[in-house]
Amino acid sequence: MDETIKSKVKYFENIPAVPNRDWILSRLGYRKGVTELKTRDLQLIDECIQQGGYLCKPAGAYMNISIIDKDMTGIVLDNNISLMSQSLSKLLKDSHSVILMASTVGHEVSKKVFTEIENGNASAGLILDSVASQTADAALDWMVQMLDKMLIREGKKLTKHRYSPGFGDLPLCYQKDIFEALQLFRLNMALTEKFMLIPEKSVIAIAGVEDKGEL
Amino acid sequence: MNTAQFKELVSQKIQILDGATGTELQKRGMPTGVCPEQWVIENPDTIKQIQKAYIHAGSNIIYTCTFGGNPIKLEEFGLGDRTFEINRKLAQLSREAADGKCLVAGDIASTGRFIKPLGDMPFEVCVDIYKEQVRGLLAGGVDLFVIETMLDIQEARAALLAVKECCDLPVCVSMSFDESMRTLTGTDSVTALITLQSLGADAVGCNCSTGPEHMLEIIAQMKPYARVPLMAKPNAGLPRLSNGATVFDMGAEEFGSFTSRFIQAGVNLLGGCCGTSPEYIRELDKGCGNLIPQNFVCSQYSAVSSSRKTVFFGINKPVAVVGERINPTGKKKLQAELKEGSTNEIRRFALEQLEKGAHILDVNVGMPGIDEKEVMVNTVSLLGSICDAPLCLDSSSPEVLEAALRIYPGRALINSISQEKVKLDRLLPVAAKYGAMFILLPLSDEGVPEKAVQRQAIVQEVYKQAATYGYQKSDIVVDGLVMTVSSNQEAALETLKLIEWCSREFGCGTIVGLSNVSFGLPERSWVNAAFMSMAIAKGLTMAIANPSSDLLMCIKMACDVIMKNDINSRNYISYFNNLDKPLQGENEKRADEKKTGERIFDAVLNGDNEGIGRLIEKAVEEKTAPQDIVDLYLIPAINQVGKFFDEKKYFLPQLIQSAETMKTGFTFLEPMLKQKKEKEEKADIVIVIATVKGDIHDIGKNIVGLMLRNYGFKVYDLGKDVSAERIIEEARELKAHIVGLSALMTTTMVEMKEVIKLAKEQSLSCKFMIGGAVVDDDYATAIGADGYSRDAYEAVKLAKKLSIQEDAQHN
Repeated sequence: MDETIKSKVKYFENIPAVPNRDWILSRLGYRKGVTELKTRDLQLIDECIQQGGYLCKPAGAYMNISIIDKDMTGIVLDNNISLMSQSLSKLLKDSHSVILMASTVGHEVSKKVFTEIENGNASAGLILDSVASQTADAALDWMVQMLDKMLIREGKKLTKHRYSPGFGDLPLCYQKDIFEALQLFRLNMALTEKFMLIPEKSVIAIAGVEDKGEL
Repeated sequence: MNTAQFKELVSQKIQILDGATGTELQKRGMPTGVCPEQWVIENPDTIKQIQKAYIHAGSNIIYTCTFGGNPIKLEEFGLGDRTFEINRKLAQLSREAADGKCLVAGDIASTGRFIKPLGDMPFEVCVDIYKEQVRGLLAGGVDLFVIETMLDIQEARAALLAVKECCDLPVCVSMSFDESMRTLTGTDSVTALITLQSLGADAVGCNCSTGPEHMLEIIAQMKPYARVPLMAKPNAGLPRLSNGATVFDMGAEEFGSFTSRFIQAGVNLLGGCCGTSPEYIRELDKGCGNLIPQNFVCSQYSAVSSSRKTVFFGINKPVAVVGERINPTGKKKLQAELKEGSTNEIRRFALEQLEKGAHILDVNVGMPGIDEKEVMVNTVSLLGSICDAPLCLDSSSPEVLEAALRIYPGRALINSISQEKVKLDRLLPVAAKYGAMFILLPLSDEGVPEKAVQRQAIVQEVYKQAATYGYQKSDIVVDGLVMTVSSNQEAALETLKLIEWCSREFGCGTIVGLSNVSFGLPERSWVNAAFMSMAIAKGLTMAIANPSSDLLMCIKMACDVIMKNDINSRNYISYFNNLDKPLQGENEKRADEKKTGERIFDAVLNGDNEGIGRLIEKAVEEKTAPQDIVDLYLIPAINQVGKFFDEKKYFLPQLIQSAETMKTGFTFLEPMLKQKKEKEEKADIVIVIATVKGDIHDIGKNIVGLMLRNYGFKVYDLGKDVSAERIIEEARELKAHIVGLSALMTTTMVEMKEVIKLAKEQSLSCKFMIGGAVVDDDYATAIGADGYSRDAYEAVKLAKKLSIQEDAQHN
């Protein structure tokens, strides 16, 4: 049987991710009721969101993996990945397994952001950059929602929050282990020596699987 | 059993299905974590016991214990290569349990993987995977097939095709819908029904999901459009955990009390899913009593679907617009992209047309120099993932259309089938296999008849042949075949006659490609619009058009109202409420009547990069001194922008836009200012900026560079991932006054320290400023930097401050 079919990692090659407009603006410093947007600003924002819609190619991957050991300092997964982080361990206190996941929006949109800035359309580039970031997040949100819908059938759910290497006390270097576990090269992604994801607009995250609990 | 016998069976009597199998196996000792299929083979009496109990309780159809019997699921236990043997054995066990007292359905369920374009499994691989299971079940002697608990319409299609390509047995398909009334991948109940019944499912329905109450709503939604029997197999409510065990709250009696409501709603096959047992099935059987199933003949309708949406159209409905733009004819950029495999133009055309009100998208990728079949399949696949509009598959090649139909995750419209022999012989059976609607082109091997009456004869003949494949009049749309009026003024009238005949006499929908009618005439849009409104008056149901034409779209909306096809003018009102209302900015005021200087000030404030040059020229013509333009308008305006940014009244794109506008203004003034030998204040301040080694994020640094330039600093950008050695070397070479360092990650911010350390070692005396998401003032102090800025505007202020210090040091 094809390795693709046998793999425990599930891949989404085209995620219907829709970025949230409010969050795109918020990322750019917009404050509701304070920031004053003019007609040309609104037009530019709409144009960039539309352009982001066809330049972003959201894709993702996830795997469900059991926690085999857990204490206050971190967790060990069934594939021998150790994630040493007190805050992650706290997040996963009721979890028996975790979902390792990643999303990306591809290379093209980042190239366009660069070109826009180079060509003197920096404000468009900046908005497009925000659209791309938000689309990568929206792709993760979409996966989380889908996983939650699947888990509910088993009386389970995902933790309310997800965690990413590089935040809190979970070092960025764990991106390497997760990158390899999810075989993210299959989504045309790569990792730099300093553990940064390429394309730039890509995200890795961890969420716990919990029992839904008594009613 | 054949499909006719199956229809007869379910129309005579409600067929009671079985209940849950997994939980019954667990009750009888199956441990968790084992492969149920293998465990059952090792414990054959247990499944026989359960199935006999269901038969005794009233089941007319039992399912084989092969829910996880596809090769992918079996491979999770290392049993993928035993698929045929396992399925055959389990079907045989069910046959033994049935003992001729009931039918045995071969049970097929999800593989757990996702099909392209959403997932990574090719559609054909999925079909083949299911075929392996189907062959085993057939060898075991099943009477029919049930594809159940499907979460994705494309996977359900793959399984359905696998069964239909292996045998002629009846096949029922049951999807699982959650509380949002959609499947996991977003298909609503009506779309699932229309897609699956047109692809040849003998019964469609739902199972698992939530409890019976919710499932009744789904059945009620499906019933008006069901041309096939409906089935329901609800859970006994939603699962919850009690003392570590999964329990379902609804008791057997309450479950059974829903029976009559299900039958009234139109269900022909009824059973139970998770949490049910033979006791529950007994209650269902009891509830059936003497109730007779409803027939499954519904009124005629025309509908096409994508994986997430159905579009209805036809006589007495609003005219459906088929967006025509995904077609390389005359579009050089699209042609180039199709050749190189790029998809941006297709994405753009799709999203723009939907935004403008297209209901369906026509997809034509025919052009020389490409593999049309491959490109069509890729395009159809792509569009399925980025938009939810149904597609009209447009090609002259039957082979291309067949390939597209196979992977299209809904019910497509084919453009087109004519009376040409090749189309009738090759395309009609393919269209029928995939249940597609088709556009009937009234031409034959002899060519295009001029007169409407000749075209009518072709329509009747093609329909006659299509009817032998099960097509109804509502499944076809006749193309009016509009010819250009500039060469034959009778042409449009003949088309109108044909449209009228189709809608008033023959009883089918019609479509026209509008733009042909006006070819060769000036101001074509008027002719197109006039022709469309006349055609609508004759009963036109669809138009292939460019929805970006406001004229066409507005007239269409108005015609729908006048023809009474837009009930209570709802669509019309909604359309014009949403139509490109001039976007009104917050607190925006008119700028006319202001003096030129004030308008320059406003131009910077509003980021009017295109308009500022003209305004400056005007001010100079009005004899305003160039230095006054700078001092009285440009500088105060950009300071005001900075103030607004500090107060959050402006956000970053506005700040950037204003800074760019000011720079443009300076570019216009510069020659005049130089004439007056007024030197730019900060022209000598050199700033070298870089994202440090190991870091690839540079948008923040780029924006800072841009802002610094706009404020008159001389900026050298070394790029990203730049080593400490190179930064110091370049700073020395360029005689930098300030070095700006950027880093986004905790792993790379430490590199900033290395740069400053190296500068000190090499006695480089310039100032250092830093920025980036993970650094702050404290970090700047800790590593010996001269300042930190949190954004581009702060960076400008900091650079100004540091340049004064730098000046003071050197003077």
